[in-house]
Amino acid sequence: MNELNKIHKIIFDAIDVLNEGLDIEKRISKSNDTVLYGTNSRLDSFGLVNLIITVEEKIQDETGVALNLADEKALSRKSSPFLTVGTLSAYIEELLKNT
Amino acid sequence: MHADFLTDAFEKYSGSPALVWNGRSYDYKTLLEIFNKRSSEIKSVYNLRGKVTALKSDFSPESVCLMLALIENECITVPLNRNSKENENKISDIAMCEWLIETDENDNVSYKDLENTASHILYDSLKEKNHPGLVLFSSGTSGIPKAAVHDFTNLLEKFKTQRTAFYTLNFLLFDHWGGLNTMFHTLSNGGLLVFTNDRTPENVCSLIEKHKIELLPASPTFLNLLLLSEAYKKSDLSSLKIISYGTEPMLPGTLKRLNNIFPGVKFRQTYGLIEIGVMRSSSLSNDSLWVKLGGEGYTTRVVDNILQVKSSSSILGYLNYPSPFTEDGWFITEDYVETDGEYFRILGRKTDLMNIGGEKVYPAEIEDVLKELENVAEAIVYSEPNSITGNIICAEVTMIKDADKNEFKSKIRKHCRERLENFKVPSRIIISDKIDYTERFKKKKPVNNRS
Repeated sequence: MNELNKIHKIIFDAIDVLNEGLDIEKRISKSNDTVLYGTNSRLDSFGLVNLIITVEEKIQDETGVALNLADEKALSRKSSPFLTVGTLSAYIEELLKNT
Repeated sequence: MHADFLTDAFEKYSGSPALVWNGRSYDYKTLLEIFNKRSSEIKSVYNLRGKVTALKSDFSPESVCLMLALIENECITVPLNRNSKENENKISDIAMCEWLIETDENDNVSYKDLENTASHILYDSLKEKNHPGLVLFSSGTSGIPKAAVHDFTNLLEKFKTQRTAFYTLNFLLFDHWGGLNTMFHTLSNGGLLVFTNDRTPENVCSLIEKHKIELLPASPTFLNLLLLSEAYKKSDLSSLKIISYGTEPMLPGTLKRLNNIFPGVKFRQTYGLIEIGVMRSSSLSNDSLWVKLGGEGYTTRVVDNILQVKSSSSILGYLNYPSPFTEDGWFITEDYVETDGEYFRILGRKTDLMNIGGEKVYPAEIEDVLKELENVAEAIVYSEPNSITGNIICAEVTMIKDADKNEFKSKIRKHCRERLENFKVPSRIIISDKIDYTERFKKKKPVNNRS
């Protein structure tokens, strides 16, 4: 499994955890194009924050690396890393490469 | 009599639009008609003069007029948010509500006699003066919400001075003073209030474009989300003149980015607490977190780096907690501040009160809920800084009997979601073998902490 596939799996596992607590119509799907926080997003602020924290915890469990995905650096990027599963995966891949 | 200054404004601006609710516009004349109808009903049909009355609603034409009618009839209003999961009976019991007025999502109004008699020294002091009251709730140190009692006439005094009103999106909540403050300011000065239940950045931006909104009162968390969602790229937000923010500290980086994205907009920091209302404030500059606080009716002083406020619109006291004032009448905010001449910078809280996306909550409230759950031996709750919501809630829990940790975490999340409002559900759950009781305080660094 390559790095990006691993990251996808981590995000999908985190989506499963998040979906557990959401009403059926608010659940989010598991695909590269799934909107996390952007146009037609179904997540509220706490949904987004909880998803990010679960992803961070799972990355640490699997790779031993403690990432901070939503620091000021992430927030001040011109293009938000949290728009879709795809943009978040790319951002995590970039951070892991630099560790 | 108590609402005269508002009804006078309603007459003065009679033909102008006052509210937009559910996509429909209501003018001041219509509001005045609804107010007159509700006021005479409250007085003559239900005889509610002076009664402690819960108003369970969200912002709507009826709820606005009902609140004014309750003020006019010297009632003690307890606003409850219709969409809140908070235990309504508990709140109603603490406030000893005698009547409940409810509006549904179609703005139909119903009255219910709760067959209760309220008795409290603070209520008596309002009744003796024939003044209307307002009861607002905030999280309490012991886990039981604090019921703060205001003399409504003191809170309303500042709205009698005419000021500029704007087309305003009322983003804040019905059971918070921030939301009510925006409402009274706008309506007493002939502005337009646009209400919405959908507080996503996307919807807020489309409403700004549609209604040419000039003033957006928001929280730093919302502004972070606005940046992350990039929703501002998809709507024309050129009507915006002022974005005000308060309720939680703002990250300097967020403010800088906002200034770049909205070059013509004035950013105004506000400072408000349930106990003292909202102080007028002016920021040193658009990208500065230094702020001058005060305005008529407020004086400030700093004792041991903690801000204290004396205000003519302070609460009378709490129904169920000791008085928060010093002997000489100053309210101790528990906020650490830095000072530079007349300017303050708010640094964070002295107590373990957590500020989560602008909502304030004490750990004890969540610890109590965690301890209700089977197989929870001990639970400790604290906050951890987070760039989006300022802080997140962390819960560390030990088990009585060993069990699968992930399954147990799921159970905890489920239980918390059922028992607590969204923002109070812990984001990080740690299952430990042993709890270190200094944890909460170790994680909190009072000064410089963003909470």
